[in-house]
Amino acid sequence: MELFLQRLVDGLSEGSVYALIALGIVIIYRGTGHLNFAQGEMALFSTYVVYQFGEWGIPIGIAVVMGMAVGFLLGAVTEVAIVRPISKKSPFAVFIVTIGLFQLLNWLDGAIWGGQQLPNTGVGSKQIRFPSLFPSKPTDFVTILGANIKIQSLGVIALVALLTVGLFAIFNHTRLGLAMRAVAANGESAKLVGIRTGRVLMASWGMAAAIGALGGVVFAGISTSVSLGLMFTVFIYGAAAATLGGFDSPGGAVIAGFSIGLIQNMAAGYAPEWVGQEMKVGVAFLVILGVLLFRPSGLFGTSRVERV
Amino acid sequence: MSLLRAQGLTAGYGQVRVLQGIDLEVNEGEIVVVLGANGAGKTTTMRAVSGTIPRQGTIEFKGHSIQKASTDAIVRAGIVQVPQGRGTFPELTVADNLLAGAFVRRDGAKAIADDIAKWYSVFPRLEERAEQRAGSLSGGEQQMLAIARALMSRPKLLLCDEPSMGLAPLITREMFNVIERLNKEEGLSVLLVEQNANLAMEIASRVYLLETGVIVASGTAAELSADDSIRKAYLGF
Repeated sequence: MELFLQRLVDGLSEGSVYALIALGIVIIYRGTGHLNFAQGEMALFSTYVVYQFGEWGIPIGIAVVMGMAVGFLLGAVTEVAIVRPISKKSPFAVFIVTIGLFQLLNWLDGAIWGGQQLPNTGVGSKQIRFPSLFPSKPTDFVTILGANIKIQSLGVIALVALLTVGLFAIFNHTRLGLAMRAVAANGESAKLVGIRTGRVLMASWGMAAAIGALGGVVFAGISTSVSLGLMFTVFIYGAAAATLGGFDSPGGAVIAGFSIGLIQNMAAGYAPEWVGQEMKVGVAFLVILGVLLFRPSGLFGTSRVERV
Repeated sequence: MSLLRAQGLTAGYGQVRVLQGIDLEVNEGEIVVVLGANGAGKTTTMRAVSGTIPRQGTIEFKGHSIQKASTDAIVRAGIVQVPQGRGTFPELTVADNLLAGAFVRRDGAKAIADDIAKWYSVFPRLEERAEQRAGSLSGGEQQMLAIARALMSRPKLLLCDEPSMGLAPLITREMFNVIERLNKEEGLSVLLVEQNANLAMEIASRVYLLETGVIVASGTAAELSADDSIRKAYLGF
């Protein structure tokens, strides 16, 4: 029972990071139909920025909010300056451009913070110690039903849950949320009711990048350090969570993100010889494969039906 | 009084010019119908007026040029379009569709809620389905929703792009009755493009005939049906 509780909380706190990245992917996909390959790297850039703020003596709690603001700007500028002009000419090219952005941001991080010589190879980058948002000393735990639960894990889960509730309040009860849902449902009609779709898309990319920034900071805190490769696997899990959740469903992305973290940790914990730390990714992907075989549009995605 | 006036209006897509310079006018309180076959440029005309595609020529609304105005500015000014194929927001509820229709309004939640209640009383089917997703409605219900959503912005001029498309004849007639009623009771001016000439002519104050991007004839419904060649080509009797 104690072990189960520990694995549950650890799984959920890891999953919350995937949930954040998946949320970002879904918000952008709903708005513009693009898969933002640079979602993880935008988050990493903001994470380094938060580290930098910390170096300048700003407390981590304030630095993370500022880092999210920087993330918002990065996302918004990316949409206006890069994605919009290119998607007018070729929507497909945007995918390639986001891969380029992935490279560019990682290169930039390496040049500024990663201690890389130019041209950098991305290998053997410097690990920088990263502060946690929550108490994370080995003695910082609470005992629940006999299990020692890390305060950091609980804090992360609570923070992500809070953010998710806030986001859904924005989606469902604000003008911006209504505009975002309208643009996602039918961009042309959104224009015809007078919504400035350009601004909505700009805000969507900004929000996605700000959410990702928080994901990066949380994950760097859990891992106690930040390095150039920090977000590679997280992005893969995040994209997997977005797929599992249904790609156009923010709620699905969050649930799927938490689920993937949970499945991984349970599998690794209960079958240490069979699965263990090395193969826990495989189990998560097997589950995803299984779900997609029976529900191709994901757990909560809308399968689009064309009326002929 | 002239509400909408276009002169030498041209528009198209990329290199292809669809409208070859048309003159068009809608006076206050009129229902103006533009008839044309597939590919004549009906939808392009709607898009050019709504500003969703680039256009050249003079185009004025209430005496002010809207040639350079963006779509949201045009909606704010009082022109709203019901797009072809309804164009509702399928994943949103009927109620949220109507709320989105009021996006440009700044007169407060109370006034908007009152308007939603008003259109529910005009279209009771929509009230029954208020919390359903718009995508689950029938074609006729979606067309009603599309019209009600457009009216939520309190327009002066309603643009209708082939409201009869894909609807059963009885429902089409109902739709035209609604448009006529809105025109009479609310003083709403309407610019409507159609292939379905017979029904559209019944409610039209004036009619334009559009052929491959050029207006070839115009006049009252009576004048046009009196012309033998037009009657044969468009009305089929």
